[in-house]
Amino acid sequence: MDWYLLLSAILLPALSAVLCFIVKNQKARIAIVSISTLILFAVAYGFIVLLLNSPDGRIVYHFNESTLEVVSWIIKGFDLILFSYIAYVGIKHKKAIVVVLCVLQFIPWALFEVFGVFGKVFEPEQAFVIDYLSLIMIMLVSIIGPIITFFALGYMKEHEHHLKLTVSRQPRFFMILFIFLSAMNALVMTDNLSWMYFFWEITTLCSFLLISHDGTEIAIKNGLRALWINSVGGVAFIFAIILVNSSLDTLSIQAISESGMQGAFTGMLPIALGLLCIAGFTKSAQFPFQSWLLGAMVAPTPVSALLHSSTMVKAGVYLVVRISPAFSGTILGQLVAISGGFTFAVASAIAISQSNGKKVLAYSTIANLGLVICCAGIGTRISIAAAILLMIFHAVSKGLLFLCVGTIEQGIGSRDIEDMQGLFKLMPFTTVITVIGMISMMLPPFGVLITKFMAIETAVDQPLVLLLIILGSALTVVFWGKWIGIILTMSYKPKFHIEKLTFSMEAALSMLIIFVMIASIGIVPLYNVFVKPQVLAFALTDKGALFGEGMGIWLHNMDNAVYGGFASIIFFILVLLLMVAIPFFAHRLKPTRLKPPYLCGGNASDDMRGLEFISPGDKTENVVVRNYYMQGVFGEEKLTTGANIIAGAIVLIILGVVIGL
Amino acid sequence: MSINNILIAVIAIIAAPIIGGLLTGIDRKITARMQNRQGPPILQPFYDFFKLIGKQDIAVNQTQMVYVLGHLLFAIGALVMLVLQQDLLMIMFILAFSGIALIMGASSIRSPYSKIGAQREIMSMMAYEPVLLLMVVGVYKATGSFMISGIFEHEKPLLFSLPLVFLSFLFILTIKLRKSPFDFATSHHGHQELIKGLTTEFSGTQLALIELTDWIDLVLFMGLISLFFAKPIWVGILIALVCYFLEILIDNISARMTWQWMVKTTWVAGIGVALVNIIWMYLI
Repeated sequence: MDWYLLLSAILLPALSAVLCFIVKNQKARIAIVSISTLILFAVAYGFIVLLLNSPDGRIVYHFNESTLEVVSWIIKGFDLILFSYIAYVGIKHKKAIVVVLCVLQFIPWALFEVFGVFGKVFEPEQAFVIDYLSLIMIMLVSIIGPIITFFALGYMKEHEHHLKLTVSRQPRFFMILFIFLSAMNALVMTDNLSWMYFFWEITTLCSFLLISHDGTEIAIKNGLRALWINSVGGVAFIFAIILVNSSLDTLSIQAISESGMQGAFTGMLPIALGLLCIAGFTKSAQFPFQSWLLGAMVAPTPVSALLHSSTMVKAGVYLVVRISPAFSGTILGQLVAISGGFTFAVASAIAISQSNGKKVLAYSTIANLGLVICCAGIGTRISIAAAILLMIFHAVSKGLLFLCVGTIEQGIGSRDIEDMQGLFKLMPFTTVITVIGMISMMLPPFGVLITKFMAIETAVDQPLVLLLIILGSALTVVFWGKWIGIILTMSYKPKFHIEKLTFSMEAALSMLIIFVMIASIGIVPLYNVFVKPQVLAFALTDKGALFGEGMGIWLHNMDNAVYGGFASIIFFILVLLLMVAIPFFAHRLKPTRLKPPYLCGGNASDDMRGLEFISPGDKTENVVVRNYYMQGVFGEEKLTTGANIIAGAIVLIILGVVIGL
Repeated sequence: MSINNILIAVIAIIAAPIIGGLLTGIDRKITARMQNRQGPPILQPFYDFFKLIGKQDIAVNQTQMVYVLGHLLFAIGALVMLVLQQDLLMIMFILAFSGIALIMGASSIRSPYSKIGAQREIMSMMAYEPVLLLMVVGVYKATGSFMISGIFEHEKPLLFSLPLVFLSFLFILTIKLRKSPFDFATSHHGHQELIKGLTTEFSGTQLALIELTDWIDLVLFMGLISLFFAKPIWVGILIALVCYFLEILIDNISARMTWQWMVKTTWVAGIGVALVNIIWMYLI
């Protein structure tokens, strides 16, 4: 039973990928994607049941020696193919840095894995270990991933229609999406660091292929940028593998996680940990490595939703959270927290100045990943719980929001926030879902706010980190508030449009919004069942604890006394319901009581929208309303360079510190 | 939730608007005297309130009421949490939501005045929010708890450990109460270039409810000031009243500034001063 699950989680998406590539028929593709979606849901469910029933909270897959040997060599073979392909891409597009970084990875890899120059390679016997953190990632990958793929069915058809392609490139597109899902599933399940590296590199390559999918000049340019920046992470990763192997005598990720214990490091391990964090930073697009994620926005929307918000970037934070017990309480942990907090604050600030919807989402993604990394660096039980919870909430909400912006873009032909005024009349269904999605990123009772709350309360012992989180969370409110204000702008019109969406898009949006609601309302059970066992399983010395009781959450300190928390999230839900229900039932306005807005001059016509007014010179003027973007203060070009320099300095400090540890 | 708690909550919900309305009335009286005017009777805010309630409902779009109710209900929620001595940080978040609801309401209308008012209100929120959160941190550093009950269990008044945080709290109180020099989102006085800014397009019952929320907010903030001298609480209340008088004074002697100036001063002076205090709390 267990083995079937493991194989279907990894090989089934791979099989679907092949099928999608071979079968060019649209109907057949719909069938393949739908069936794969259902099977992946079942796989996720199977893992949940299996893990909840397992006595020691983890499922371990042992390989006997001969199988291990064979699988290892297969993976090495694929590694080689991967290197060659990446080098080929570099040469084909004449991008020297891609080739150089590829060679820089290939040489240590070959010396280490193939020729054994750095001593024996200790491959762990327990090749796949699934604990609660892995389970949560599997749930994100195997539930949100397929939903987004399903959405892509409708979206890509429309997309190619806009591009006027003669030969559909969808088979290739869906193939890469499925390969990616397969690699992600394997990445979060494996306990072998060098295998993880292989899957890590697959996601890097997939992201290049998907970003450059449309084949335009800018798409290829941005794809290559993603490729080389992630390759920097790859180089850090391969060196970390070698160091881990020599200092711990194993490549087991579990062993790394349990190795640190308050600075009692062995050998070169601190350097390895530092390098792994940097690899995580590149994949999670932390400052100064953020530019690839921003460039990735040229890709079709499902790509942004899948790779660059809900799953692939989560691989980076997954790695950092996974190894965080090793550096919890050390100076490295503090630096990681500062680096994450810095990204959180700066990315939120830049998001204020953006009027491109997708870019706002991208910066918000970077910011939230920064917060996750920051929480992982703080390294208390509460902060790690916050990190894991935020990973869940962010993946669901952001996946949803990207799909919403994609839908809006196809509906109104623009992704500029200013063009979304009055959207409620044009696309009521999408608008309601979008607004709930945005509210879920910033307001009670939704999970993202609750994790921010936990992050602040647990960061109190690290003043600098705390200040960064506080500034970041104040800035977050600004850009979401502005955007929601624009989307909800409406003037009176008697008739609503009825929106026409394809079934796949409508179904995907509805499913995700339901997940957003369930995850937030059920935050207490979610924490108790999935997050708490993982936090307890981590080897942390900190004795503070987070308790989910009834419908509230309480934070306890060392002496088990309550120092923070709130009694009930039901309260917030009640208020939200009331504020919609009361006007709806008790206060239905008659159209005669509706007036056009005041324009400080005569309104030019009887039009209820108040689009024109008569100015003092008796001229008719248009009314233009726009948001503030404060380019002069928060502009991208104003802040990026400075932020990159500071973040780069923090990365260098991390490197310097780990070498000295 | 015990019967006792429910009773306290109900009393607070009834008493807060009354106290808030009276304070507003006194504010108007004092302001008038400072300007050498007779001024309205102290109960004038209540007369205004009931007059507004009785007015015909006029609106610009059908959704405005939703936001007004959000503004009111979340303020009430924060007040209840305060009197039940819950988590201070959560109270700040809920208050922020109350503010956001009004901003969403004002910007949901396609009117230049209310839109610009809403934008400016977001600016002020960005300015004062970090200071509020830092105040919460200061309270934690002094008492070891985020719960307001922790403040009441604490021996020494907070004011002695957090004098500078208290000062910067007073500073942002001016923004929060929309007093001059920070009254650019909407103003109580009639000298606005933005008509009535944020609340331009609200009228009748909706405007009355916004007034009501302002009163509750006022009481809430007076309560937060009193926390700095929680034992005995009457000293705290006295301090709060003195502070309120100071706010009125500042309102009357200063001219309105730009939002850029406000964000700059609050982030540099407000956050800076609070930080200095918090840093020394870390060191002792």
